[in-house]
Amino acid sequence: MAGAWIGRRAGMIELEGITKVFPGVKSLDSVDFEARSGEVHALLGENGAGKSTLIKTIAGAYIPEEGTIRFDGEERSWSSPGESKDAGIHVIYQEFVLFPELSVAENIFIGEAPKTRFGTISYATMYSRASDILDRLGHSLDPRALVREISIADQQMVEIAKALVGEVKLLVLDEPTALLSEREANLLFECVMRLREDGVCIIYISHRLEEIFRIADRVTVLKDGKLAGVRQVSQMDRDQLVEMMVGRELTDVFPPKVLPGKDTAPVLSVRNLRAPPLVRDVSFDLYPGEVAGLAGLVGAGRSAVAHALFGSLARTDGAVMLAGESFNNPSPREAIDRGFGFLTEDRKAEGLMLLLDISVNVTAPAIHEFSTGVGMNRTAEIQAAQDEIQRFRIAVPSPLGDVSKLSGGNQQKILFGRWSRACHRMLILDEPTRGVDVGAKVEIYEIIRKLADEGAGILVISSELLEVVGLCTRVLVMREGRISGEVTGDAVSETSIMRLATVSAAA
Amino acid sequence: MAAGRRFRVDPSLVIVTVLLVAVLIAGFTLSERFGTLRNLMNVLEQAAALGFVSLGQSLVVLVGGIDLSVGAVVTASTVLMAAVVEMNPAWMVPMIPGVLAFGAFIGFINGFLVLRTGVHPLIVTLGTGSVLNGLVLLYTLQPTGGVPYWFEEFAYGRIGPVPVAGLVMLVCFGFVWFFLKYTAMGRSFYAVGGGEESARLSGIDSNRVILIAYTACGFFVALAGAYFVSRTGVGDPRVGEPFTLASITPVIVGGILLGGGKGNVLGALLGVFLISLINNLLNYMDVSTFIQWIVQGLIILVAVSVYVNRERKL
Amino acid sequence: MSEPASKSTALVPVKRLALPAAMLALVGFAAVLQPSFLSPSNLQDILTQAAPLGIVVLGQAFVVLVRGLDLSVASLMATVAVIATAFNATDDAMIPVIFAVAIGFSALVGLTNGLLVTKRNVSPFLATLAIMIVLQGLRFYYTQGAPAGSLPSGFRFLGTGRIAGIPVNMIAFAVLFVVLGWLLHKSAFGRKVYITGGNPVSADLVGIRSDRVTILCYVICSVMAGIAGLFLVGFVGTVDNWVGRGYELDSIVAVVIGGVALSGGTGTLWGAASGALILILLFNIVIILGLPVQAQLIIKGIIIIFAAALFARARAQ
Repeated sequence: MAGAWIGRRAGMIELEGITKVFPGVKSLDSVDFEARSGEVHALLGENGAGKSTLIKTIAGAYIPEEGTIRFDGEERSWSSPGESKDAGIHVIYQEFVLFPELSVAENIFIGEAPKTRFGTISYATMYSRASDILDRLGHSLDPRALVREISIADQQMVEIAKALVGEVKLLVLDEPTALLSEREANLLFECVMRLREDGVCIIYISHRLEEIFRIADRVTVLKDGKLAGVRQVSQMDRDQLVEMMVGRELTDVFPPKVLPGKDTAPVLSVRNLRAPPLVRDVSFDLYPGEVAGLAGLVGAGRSAVAHALFGSLARTDGAVMLAGESFNNPSPREAIDRGFGFLTEDRKAEGLMLLLDISVNVTAPAIHEFSTGVGMNRTAEIQAAQDEIQRFRIAVPSPLGDVSKLSGGNQQKILFGRWSRACHRMLILDEPTRGVDVGAKVEIYEIIRKLADEGAGILVISSELLEVVGLCTRVLVMREGRISGEVTGDAVSETSIMRLATVSAAA
Repeated sequence: MAAGRRFRVDPSLVIVTVLLVAVLIAGFTLSERFGTLRNLMNVLEQAAALGFVSLGQSLVVLVGGIDLSVGAVVTASTVLMAAVVEMNPAWMVPMIPGVLAFGAFIGFINGFLVLRTGVHPLIVTLGTGSVLNGLVLLYTLQPTGGVPYWFEEFAYGRIGPVPVAGLVMLVCFGFVWFFLKYTAMGRSFYAVGGGEESARLSGIDSNRVILIAYTACGFFVALAGAYFVSRTGVGDPRVGEPFTLASITPVIVGGILLGGGKGNVLGALLGVFLISLINNLLNYMDVSTFIQWIVQGLIILVAVSVYVNRERKL
Repeated sequence: MSEPASKSTALVPVKRLALPAAMLALVGFAAVLQPSFLSPSNLQDILTQAAPLGIVVLGQAFVVLVRGLDLSVASLMATVAVIATAFNATDDAMIPVIFAVAIGFSALVGLTNGLLVTKRNVSPFLATLAIMIVLQGLRFYYTQGAPAGSLPSGFRFLGTGRIAGIPVNMIAFAVLFVVLGWLLHKSAFGRKVYITGGNPVSADLVGIRSDRVTILCYVICSVMAGIAGLFLVGFVGTVDNWVGRGYELDSIVAVVIGGVALSGGTGTLWGAASGALILILLFNIVIILGLPVQAQLIIKGIIIIFAAALFARARAQ
């Protein structure tokens, strides 16, 4: 199967039967993958499908348990990222591999700085070559600036510039446009096309399907660590692609939408909220029983709005009413006490206490509820956790189990248990299904529906447009710290949201 | 974005320089003897020990570690050197590289244990320091050994008005500065300190860098040991103790970030001068030596909270 | 001691048994080598020595649990001892006053440490290092290097006396252990300590004021150090400027041996106290084996690296 070649365009990279296991998870299960020089090969899959593991395997950052890697016609087994880099593989990760305290030029030439004839680093050569590379990318940037001081889009450019230092045969781009404006993204596409013409093999990962159709030649889809298929992009349409990713028809994934009652008062009313630099001017209402979406590009300020509302980011201005009463000097404590819960984006960094057991994680926002004169009432706490475990069918043996050992889906459900238990009025859910497998996603969508049916107002923040479109009856779209528009009912579609999220950035 | 800023100075260097100038001005106005060339050269001579130890500490802190065994390494080096040479004075010359190799070896052990056990460097170096101190004190509780008279030249010798020890210290700082700025290995100190995982993904052998940092630290710290042997002629089992924590002050005041990845050994050098000049000045002002401690503590607090606050705003 | 809410997985019972097992093994080892080890007077000596360190360790554990570190404890102990003698009191009725002043002063030091760490964002190592040096300077400046003054004779009883054969300072330790054990493992505050130490960001987002919790931990630590200083000065009998010297590092060693991770959020007070006792047992064994006292340093160094590596490995699994 792999090893097949067509004319002279043999596979630049060929993986066969790659299996990579992490404690408790088979991240890649006997996956074959092949990409050729001079093609843009898209790699698709939902979060947790194994894309990151696959590219880290290609880069030599992970060593697979099974399988072979052939690169440029030779069987290779990398033992470190340095080796694959020397061979001509360059990976641009979603999380930048940059050193904020070093200059732009030093980051571009990290590990391979130009030397003088005495073997010392030649800063003059480094700065001028860095300028040349940045010019080639059509980007003007001071090579002496510290990376800490430049914008995120500029940092992305530095990442790409790094690839152009040596001879690059294979370039992997992991969601490169997630943080870019439309103009910047277009520049990037031009750059990608140019590299393709030079015969570089490009593996391109993106959530934005329209990008795939625009620049990719072929697409490989992963699902739950397995290969779901390889196709010519020109022979597919959007729905087929989505079905390959999700593994079932979309109508089976999302519960039916329910419009909230017309005559209810908003549970949350926000006017002219400001929390610079990320939140510039945001106004909206959220109704009981409603599932609304807050969409926008990464960096548009969605999470910042949530934090500013919840009291974990300082507001400079704005009038907020929660259940009819003013909520202008917020703190997380007050928010929680008034029935407002916030499920944060990064469940390990901002959500779970990984060292503590499930019951403690569930009751954390309501410690005082279980505190008696003689100490914490453990029996009541464990019972409360048990109730949530049953309610959301969380697959754990006991409320005293370790959260760190649970799957992403179960961890997320524990957080749903935490917040829905403590807060009945409204919930902000920031990326509620990140890093969760498809089965658990469907269950989480049902939980969200159920909580709304019980009367909570729910605001969903998600980068997966599919999810926003599938769940929400109304979507607020943010751009550069402001609400740039709102779509409701049948007008909710990926195209309408993307248009509001990106328009004018270039113009 | 692309402002052609050609000149870039680390703000923490500016702060420590300003403090240094302030101390100098205060010294010139408050004391007649302070400002003499003779006195300043004495300060340079006496600053050497703190300088060597802080230079070593800087390297470890830059890669995100810390070394609390430096005091014990100073002590052990003095005792080792003085004891061996007393037994056979012919060993004096070989013992100079010998004791440096010994320091480097202890540093290597520290680095190895940090990498191998995954235990916080604070704990590892606390442990190795304790073992080393115990061994030295088992060997002797009193200053011991002796070295040939000529070895005094290292501590007390002068080239013109310039003290040899101070000169050696300056050369060492210059060498390390050059190494960090102009060699690929030196630059990777910053990469590893800035993020070990990122450094690894960039193809840098982080483990090797960390080992080199600890080893070099041990080397420079042993140089401070040799300096004390030269100064006192004996190996003193208690001489190093104050340096464990004292070595950290100049590093921090000089703007090297505890946690790694940021800073410049020139800052640490200025920090060494700052501390030494303050102590010297306070001596001349007939202020009790105890005030020096208070001042030193306050300097750490001021420096650290100023730097941190500045970074937070960015 | 009570069971910490945090610990209930399979790994933990093993860990919880490991410390008593280590202690029993040490006691058995010592008894075999030197039967007089088990004599009441030797056991009393061990407990009397262990109590002041144990009290410091109880406080240090709180700080380490919230990802901190307090290097100022030993300097504070000596400073409190100097404050106690500054009263120049002879009447035992002054003891409560001295305690109140010492505890008040200690709380202030803890508050300073805590504020520096939380509000100024200074690393705990540097903040408490600076406070340690400042206290040392203030103390020496006040005493001009030679402490004078006297203590009421009652202090001697607190430091070395016995009630029904049990050292008084051990009783004090036991009382503090129970009180702080309740606070850490049973009360709502203790829960907040674990949550803050486990994940400070999450703590803030579930409505816990993690800064306040952290500051309180520093205050608890300093107050414990202050109390330990008073008992230790009673034990030593004379005040010098270095009462408690070495306790800052020994207390951290004990906490780590006891399984409290420097990365915070995990470990128990029982573990930390066992760590202190194990350390003192080791010291005692060195003596009864007739080894030079300096061997204690070697054993301490090896044991801390070994114990920390062991716990690091256990946690990684």
